[in-house]
Amino acid sequence: MDDRVVAFKIIRNLIIFLAAVLVVWSMKLQIIEGRKHLRLSEENRIRKKFNPAPRGRILDRHGIEIANTRPGFYAAIVRATINQENLNTLARILNMTASEIIERSAVEKNKYNPVKIAHDISYEQLSLIEERLDLLAGIEVGAEPLRYYPYGKLLFHVIGYVGEITSQEMERESGYILGDYIGKMGLERYYEKILQGTHGIEYVEVDARGKEVGTITEKRSIPPTAGIDLLTTIDIALTESVAVYLKDYERAACVCLNPQNGGILVLYSKPGVDPNIFTHGMSSTEWDALLRDPTAPMYDRTTMSCYPPGSTYKPFVALAALDAKMSGEEKRFEPCQGVYRLGRRDFRCWKKHGSLDLDGAIVNSCDIYFYQLGRLIGIDTIADRSSRVGFGRKTGIDLPNEKQGILPDRLWFEKRYGKNWTQGHIFNLSIGQGDILTSPLQLACAYSVFANGGRIPIPHIIHRDDTTYFDTNFSSETIEAIRRSLAGVVDRGTGTWARVAGVEVCGKTGTSQNPHGEDHALFVGFAPAENAEILVCVVVENIGHGGSHAAPVTGKIIRAYLNSMQQQLSAINPRPGQDVEED
Amino acid sequence: MLRKIDTSIIWTTGVLSLLGVMMIYSTGGAAFMVRQIGWLAISVIAALAFFRIPPRVWLTISPIIYATALIFVLAILFKSDVYPKRWLRLGGLSIQPSEFAKFATVLMLAYYLAGRKRMQNFKDMIVPTIIAGLPAMLVFVEPDLGAAQIFLPILIVMAYWAGMPGLKILILFSPIISALASFSIYAWVTYITLLMIFLYFRRQLNDLIYGFVSNSLMGLTMPLLWNSLKVYQQNRILAFFSPWLDPKGMSWQIIQSRIAIGSGRLLGKGFLSGTQKKLEFLPERHTDFIFSCLGEEFGLAGIIIVLGLYAYLCHRLLLLAEETRNRFSSIVVSGVLAWIGYQTFINVGMTMGLLPVTGVPLPFMSYGGSALLACFMAIGLCLAISRTKMAY
Repeated sequence: MDDRVVAFKIIRNLIIFLAAVLVVWSMKLQIIEGRKHLRLSEENRIRKKFNPAPRGRILDRHGIEIANTRPGFYAAIVRATINQENLNTLARILNMTASEIIERSAVEKNKYNPVKIAHDISYEQLSLIEERLDLLAGIEVGAEPLRYYPYGKLLFHVIGYVGEITSQEMERESGYILGDYIGKMGLERYYEKILQGTHGIEYVEVDARGKEVGTITEKRSIPPTAGIDLLTTIDIALTESVAVYLKDYERAACVCLNPQNGGILVLYSKPGVDPNIFTHGMSSTEWDALLRDPTAPMYDRTTMSCYPPGSTYKPFVALAALDAKMSGEEKRFEPCQGVYRLGRRDFRCWKKHGSLDLDGAIVNSCDIYFYQLGRLIGIDTIADRSSRVGFGRKTGIDLPNEKQGILPDRLWFEKRYGKNWTQGHIFNLSIGQGDILTSPLQLACAYSVFANGGRIPIPHIIHRDDTTYFDTNFSSETIEAIRRSLAGVVDRGTGTWARVAGVEVCGKTGTSQNPHGEDHALFVGFAPAENAEILVCVVVENIGHGGSHAAPVTGKIIRAYLNSMQQQLSAINPRPGQDVEED
Repeated sequence: MLRKIDTSIIWTTGVLSLLGVMMIYSTGGAAFMVRQIGWLAISVIAALAFFRIPPRVWLTISPIIYATALIFVLAILFKSDVYPKRWLRLGGLSIQPSEFAKFATVLMLAYYLAGRKRMQNFKDMIVPTIIAGLPAMLVFVEPDLGAAQIFLPILIVMAYWAGMPGLKILILFSPIISALASFSIYAWVTYITLLMIFLYFRRQLNDLIYGFVSNSLMGLTMPLLWNSLKVYQQNRILAFFSPWLDPKGMSWQIIQSRIAIGSGRLLGKGFLSGTQKKLEFLPERHTDFIFSCLGEEFGLAGIIIVLGLYAYLCHRLLLLAEETRNRFSSIVVSGVLAWIGYQTFINVGMTMGLLPVTGVPLPFMSYGGSALLACFMAIGLCLAISRTKMAY
């Protein structure tokens, strides 16, 4: 059969041809593109999973945790595999809307990567999700370390808080992935790099739906490295006491530091915010409400609010006069009659003091003495000596966003008021009012000069054994003279409310004039008078006179601190009587 | 007796079936493997039984078998409550009547074609087209496009083997090409021009008229029909023609299958070491996509060996068809060859991303009792034919 022979050949050739096509095509896939396909198959099944590291703890001076971590649960979605139904279920569980979830997940470009959409979900939510996890394709839950602040709002302004990293921060910083927490304020922000730790990397095998099947053994996982603990100089017990002493006031700030080494014991600003709420994640309306709060709870009044120092500035004018040798301790001016006339303007004192020497003027806080002293020594002397103790300059504390305040000098006045600025401006400056602005922390640091014999330490919250000082080059006699007067203020002058039984306290009251409302009350004090261990600066906003509001608080703080130190000392060295018994 | 039969057909199908069992173990696990072994045992018994039946018996009962198969296929359209309506529950087993319809159609076509000594004109193709078209249509509405398409190559090859001129067959089925080409105006114009030139030089008026009318009609009505449909209807049809289109996006399966085969490279990842299938990246991995796993675990070497086995089996079937003196038996073997060969090509081409995805199992290897049993029945019949090939 001829036809059959042709048909046989054609069909045979067809078989060979088709088989050849398939073989050639598989050569293309396996040999020419084999490497690519192998890589794709690896990427298909291996996902690099970043495990967040627990942040370093923050410890107070006695090792008490003031910031630590706790385990929390998060919910994440994989956009590629989630369907609308599951999205709605998840939204219902999390009290969010489906569009909100999609919006949050949109930051992750790769739709096969899981994106965390809710942190710190409750156990109820977790169990609701977990019990139907098999059905909820594209949804993942997991544990992560979360920041916890046991003392809540008490330390809000010092420690700051952490929040989920924003896309702007992602661009600026390296070493972060979406959904990470980053320090936003305070120590959390300043020491972010130390506290942060390093992500662990785990290679997990995933199936086609993106679900984890197991860990990959061929590639070694790297465990997360926890952040480094931060030992601070903060005294949490004293901070608690400060909060109690200031409980009657709505808005206040308090700085306590060791004037010998600049270690910060207390930075307390009121009102505050519980930093734990930021960990949970906050809606934009909650956030707006917080920012618009008229009491400004987000604002750190100790380092970012600047007040005119009022009479607390007078000792620095006196210091300038003595150091420049332009006026002596015995110098007396025109006696204080309650009012002093300059040209056509009357400058008042709060009381008729009569004739006073420098010590008397500080002890009784006489404005008229200081008007005349300021006029005598001039703006240049005041500005020069004040800048030496740190006015108008950042203290260098280890916190972000510190304000430098304003120390007006000749140039500043000329810029502000033109050539016609007057003696009146010097008068105001001499009593710490008008244009001069200082933060409570800055004022506290400046007062260290009297408490430690002439040095300005750079304040620090992190514990350190060495301290850097600004040398002021004031003679010890000058310093000593002012310090004696400051002791007099508490002993018999305007600051008697700050007296503490059994210890000599030095200090100065101040009333910061406030054009917008009631004056702010100020007091700066330190004790003991010789070799001071603690220096306290208290500002109470809109309350009136410093002597009656800030001074008693300062006294209580100093007493509380010295008592606690005494207890610790006796705990370490038992009383002599017990020693004898042991002998 | 064994000396006379073609042992290559036995060992190639045996090796392929055992390879299939291995791959089913690798992809689907022991449970699927055990069930496949059970089906394999039934299939071998069936093949042995068919081997004992003299081919001339088939000649007499072909119409009955064909009618029975049609009734079964028709029955599931009314009886089956699952969609798509492909399975029929018989006792504890679910069978796919479409697989047995292929076998029955091969017999029926051979029965008719054996009776017609001269296959020359279009009208000689009317009855064979109806014989193949009937089960194809029924399977098509199940819907199972994958199974329905098999009837066309069976018809073409068997008619060709029965003596129908190849060119006539091409011209006859050219409207199908016209319909496919009509979705691109350039492709269609090029096609129709080339066809007309070709037909003009053949100088056969009937062919020219038929070719022109059928191709023009098909080419012109298809786009009109298509455009008159609503978008969702078009999508439904597109989804129908690519039934594995899934929510994961465009041709997820094909991408994953290509990755699976490609990542096997020269020697493969090793038996049981494939990662694509283990992690569910491959859907249908123990049925329609079993070849991807073979490519992943045994590489190009494995693919060449398996394709070689299939090609060799087809070659032996072709030789058998050529050597068989009985016209009916010879045409039956050509039908089995078309069935197994075409299905292999379509399946492997699909897993490699060379051809569109239609649900066609790989003969002997894919998991599934009906397909395996139907193939073994056909092989049993071929072996019976090889035993008696010298008889008229």
